[in-house]
Amino acid sequence: MNNVKMSYHQHSMNRRSALRTMAIGAGVAGASLSMPGVLRFAGAEAPIKVGLISPLTGAWTVYGKAHSAGFELAVDEINAAGGVLGRKIEIIVGDSKTEPRIVVEQANRLIRQEGVDFLAGTFSSAERNAAGPVVASANKVLLYPTFYEGQEQKYYPGVCNKNIFMFGPEPTQQVWPHMEYMTKQFGKKFFMIGSDYVWPRVTNEFTKEKLKELGGEVVGEVYIPFNTPQYESALRQIRDAKPNIIFHTLTGSDTVNFRKQFVAAGMNKEFALWTVDDEEVVTTGLGPDVSAGAFVSFDYFMSIKNPNNEAFLNRFRAKFGKNALMNTVGVAMYNAAHMAALAITKTGKVTTEGLRDGLKDLEYDKAPQGEVKMRGLDNQMVLPSYLMKVRQGWTGVGDMFEEVRHLDSVTPADARCKSLPL
Amino acid sequence: MMSTTLSVLADSTLITFVFALAAIGLAVVFGLVGVINMGHGAMLTLGAYFTWYATTSGVPFVPAVLASATSVAVVGLVLEHFLIRHFYDRPFETLLLTWGFFLITTELIKIVFGTDLRTVTNPLPGAFDLSVVTLPAYETIVAAISLGILLVLALVLFKTSTGIKIRALVQNPEVASLLGLNVGLAYKNVFVLGSFLAGLAGALISPMLSVDPYIGNIYLVRSFFVVIVGGIGQVLGGTLVGSFIIGGSETFFALFAGQVLAQTIVFVLAIVVLRFRPSGVLRPR
Amino acid sequence: MTRKASSVSAETVRGQILLRTETGLAVLVFIALAVLPLLISGYTIYIVPQYLLYGVLAMSLSLLWGFAGILSFGQAAFFALGAYVIGLAEQADPGLVNPTYVALLASLLLGASVAAFTGYFLFSAGVRDVYFVLVTLALSIIVEQVTISQSQITGGYNGMFVPRISLSFGTETAVVLSSDTAIYYFVLPVVIGVYALLSWLIRRPFGKVLVGIRENEDRVLSLGFNTSFYKTAAFSLSGAVACLAGALYGTHAGFVSPSLAGVSFSTQVVVWVAIGGRESLLGSLLGAVVVSALSTYLSAIIPDYWQLALGVVFVAVLIAFKGGAASAFDYAFGRRFRRD
Repeated sequence: MNNVKMSYHQHSMNRRSALRTMAIGAGVAGASLSMPGVLRFAGAEAPIKVGLISPLTGAWTVYGKAHSAGFELAVDEINAAGGVLGRKIEIIVGDSKTEPRIVVEQANRLIRQEGVDFLAGTFSSAERNAAGPVVASANKVLLYPTFYEGQEQKYYPGVCNKNIFMFGPEPTQQVWPHMEYMTKQFGKKFFMIGSDYVWPRVTNEFTKEKLKELGGEVVGEVYIPFNTPQYESALRQIRDAKPNIIFHTLTGSDTVNFRKQFVAAGMNKEFALWTVDDEEVVTTGLGPDVSAGAFVSFDYFMSIKNPNNEAFLNRFRAKFGKNALMNTVGVAMYNAAHMAALAITKTGKVTTEGLRDGLKDLEYDKAPQGEVKMRGLDNQMVLPSYLMKVRQGWTGVGDMFEEVRHLDSVTPADARCKSLPL
Repeated sequence: MMSTTLSVLADSTLITFVFALAAIGLAVVFGLVGVINMGHGAMLTLGAYFTWYATTSGVPFVPAVLASATSVAVVGLVLEHFLIRHFYDRPFETLLLTWGFFLITTELIKIVFGTDLRTVTNPLPGAFDLSVVTLPAYETIVAAISLGILLVLALVLFKTSTGIKIRALVQNPEVASLLGLNVGLAYKNVFVLGSFLAGLAGALISPMLSVDPYIGNIYLVRSFFVVIVGGIGQVLGGTLVGSFIIGGSETFFALFAGQVLAQTIVFVLAIVVLRFRPSGVLRPR
Repeated sequence: MTRKASSVSAETVRGQILLRTETGLAVLVFIALAVLPLLISGYTIYIVPQYLLYGVLAMSLSLLWGFAGILSFGQAAFFALGAYVIGLAEQADPGLVNPTYVALLASLLLGASVAAFTGYFLFSAGVRDVYFVLVTLALSIIVEQVTISQSQITGGYNGMFVPRISLSFGTETAVVLSSDTAIYYFVLPVVIGVYALLSWLIRRPFGKVLVGIRENEDRVLSLGFNTSFYKTAAFSLSGAVACLAGALYGTHAGFVSPSLAGVSFSTQVVVWVAIGGRESLLGSLLGAVVVSALSTYLSAIIPDYWQLALGVVFVAVLIAFKGGAASAFDYAFGRRFRRD
C-alpha cells in the first residue's frame, strides 16, 4: 500500500507550522511558568484571591458544573454586597481533571504562583487528600464540599487537618438519622452494594454498626470495580439473598448502569432501594422510569421547601438558567464561600489564622438547607438531613423528590482524629 | 440450587451475547482486515449518543437505532477514506491513529452533546419471569439480536460470493487482487461494516447503560481480548468463544471471588491464553 | 556487527550525526536547568522537577518504543508502582538503613523484575506488536484495580501519603529534601544521569540491535540474535527507569493514588512521546515537560478545547511528522531525520 506522499510544499508548510506551534508552545509554557500571574487592576484595594479546584474535565465532569456554580454564585453575591472588608473576592480556577496528580499541581500553582489566600473545592476524597500535604505545608485553608466517609487519622493530612474544613455530610449525618425509619418501614435485612473503594466501604461500616443496634442484619455485601457494564451476578445475588432494603453506594457511571439493569429486571418493585449517592445530577441522568421510588438521603435537595432555598434557587436560576442543576456539593461550595467571607469579616484578618479562627463554631443561617454550623471541634459542618423519595413520573428537578422526613440538624459523630480539637 | 445454576447459566449467556455484540464490529475489522481499531469504543459511544439524540427528538427506538448505526458507519467511512486507507500495512500506525480518533471523538462528543449524564429510555422494560429464572426482557432481545447478527454474518461470509471474496482477500491479498478483486473497495466495505456494527452495538446497549463520553471504552479492552482469545479471523465461533471466556466466565468467578478479583482473573487469564495460544482458542482454518 | 546491510549502516551514520546534535542541545538544556534555581524561585522551581520526572517516564517509553519499536500503553503502571514503593518504604522504616536508599533501590529492582517477568513471559512466546500493546493496556487496568482494592496496603482509592525523603551521609547527617531547591538538585542529576545512561546505551551495540529489531525483527533474528532477550532487556530497563521516576515523583508530590497507574495517564505518556519525538530521548523528555506545562495552564482557560487540540496535534504528528517535534526541529536545522 502507498505511504502518505506529500508534496514538498506541503511538507515544508507542515514543518514551518509545526515549528511555529512549538515555538508558541514553548513560549507560553515558559511564560506561564515564570510569570507570577497577570498584573491585576487594583481597585480600591487588591482583591481577596480564592483558588477554586474543580473537576471541569475528566471522569467526573458531570459534577464539575454544580460544584463551581455554587461557589461562583456565592462570590457574586458577596461582591455585590460590597465584598469582604471592602475587598472583592476573585476566583482563580484550576481544573483538576478528576486526577489527584493534577490536583497536586494545581494546588501548588494556585498557592505559590497565583498567590491565593485560600483554596476551595476538589471533589473526590482522593483529590482532597492530594491537596492535603500542600495546604498543610503552605499553611493555607481548603474548603471541601463533598459528602464523604468521615475523618480518620490514617488519612492525615487529607483529613484531621486543622486547615481543611468539611462542608459536606458524613455517614452519621447521611445515614444514621433514617435507619430506624427505613427499617421500620421495610424490614431489617440490608443488602449492600457499592463501588469498591473507601467511601462505600466506610459508609457501610457505619451503617452496619447502626443496623446491629437496631437488630437488623446484612444479608449481602458486594463491592463492584469501577466501570463495570454488566450486573447480572449482583442482581442474582440480591434475588437470592432476599433483602428488604438495598443500600446503594455505587458511584459514577456504575450507579446508572446498575440502576438501569435493576429496573430492567423488574426488581425495583420487589425491593426498596436506598441510595446515598444519587443526587439531582445522577437522578436526572437516570430518567423518571428508572429512578422512581428510590429513597435518597442528603443534607440538601433542590426540592427542599424553605424560604432560604426558594430565594437561593431564584438567584441560581437567574444566573445559570432555569434548567441548571444544583446539588449537595454545589450548595456546600455556596455555604463555604459565604461562611469564609463571614469568618474573615468576624476576625478582620485575611490570613489563614483569621479564616480558621473565624470558621470555628461559625453559624450560618442563610444556607439554602436551613441553619448550619461549622463545628470547631473537628472542622465538620453540622447539617440537616433529608430523606427523600423519587417521585413517580417526575418531569424535572422541580418535582423530582418528595420529602419523606427530615431533621433540621444532625450532630455528626466526632471525627476519629488523634487529637481533638483540631 | 437448580434455580441458581440455571440463573448463573442464563446470566452467563446473556453477558456472552452482549459482549459478542460489542465485539463483533472489532472482530470484523481486526479479524478480516487487520485494523487495530482503538477507536472501536468511541464508535460504540457515538452509537449510544446518536440514539439518545434521536430518541429524545421523538424518533421511535428502532429507527433511531438504525439511523445511529448508519451514522456511525458514515463516520467510519470518512475515517477510512481519509486516514486508515493509507495505513493498512502498518498496524502500529493504525493503532495510534485510531487512538487519536478516540481522543478527538470523545472531546467532540463532550462539546457537542454536553457533559451532563444522558439516558436512553428502555424500550422494553420488565422481565420474563420463567419461575425458575428471571430474564430482563430488553437484554434478552438484545442477546437474540446479537445471535441473529452472528448468524447473518456467517451466512454472508460463507455463502455469498461477496463473503467468499472477502475471505479470499484475508487469506491472500495479492492473489485476490490478481483475480480481479478490488482490494481497496473490499477493505473499505469491511471497515464500514465494522463501524456500522460498533454503532449498532452502542445503540442497542445504550438503554442498559449510562450514556457518558467514556461508556464505549468499558468494552474496548474487553472486545480486543474477545477477538484475540477467540482467534483473529474466527469472526463467529471465535467471537462467541472469546465473549464467553471474557464475559461469561466473569460471572462464574464472581461466584467465589469478589468482583474485582473476578475481573482481574479474567484479564490475567486472557493474557495467559494470548501467550500460549496466540492464534486464539479455536484452531485457525 | 559486521554483516549489516548498507542501508542500515547509512542510517546509523545519519543517526550518529543526529545524536551528536542532540547531545549538544541536551547539554544546553541541562545547563539551563541547573542554573534556573539561582535565577528564579517559587512555583516554577517547585513544579519543574515533577515535569522532569514525567520526562524521565517519557524517556523510558522512548527507549522502548522509539528505539526498540515496542509500544506500551502501560508505563504509568510502573510509575505508580515506584511511587507506592517509596511510600511503603518510608512507612516501614527499616531502622538501620535509611529507607530512602532502600526505596530507590527497591523501585529499580521492582520495575526491572516485573517488566522482566512480564516481558519474558510474553516475548519468549513471540507475543509482539499490537498484542503486546493490548496486554500493557490490560496491565494498567489490573494495577489500577488492585491498588484501589488492596486498601490496607495502598490506602486504596484515597491514596497514600509520602514524606519527603532524606539523604544520609554516614550515620549522623541526614538531609531531608523538604525545600524546593534541595529536591530540585536531587532530581536533576538523576534525570541527567538517566538521559546519559540511555543515550550511551543507544549508541552501544545493544542499542543498535534494538533499532534493528524495530526495523526488521525477523532479519535480526536470522542474524543470530536472541531478539526475545533483547526485547525483555529493553522492557526491563524501561520498567526500572519508569519505576525510579515514579518513586521520586511520589516523594516530590507527597501523595500517590491509584489513578497514577491507570489507562488515562498511561496513554498520556504515549501522546507526550509521540508529540515530542519518539526516537529522540531529549524530544520525549521535552515533549512531556511542555505538554504537561501547557495542559495545566490552558486547561483552566479552555479545558475541552485544549484536550481536543491535543488530540488533533497527536493525529497530525502521526500522519505528517512521525518523528514528532524533534524531527521538526531537525528539519529546521537542515539535517534530515532518519526516515521512519
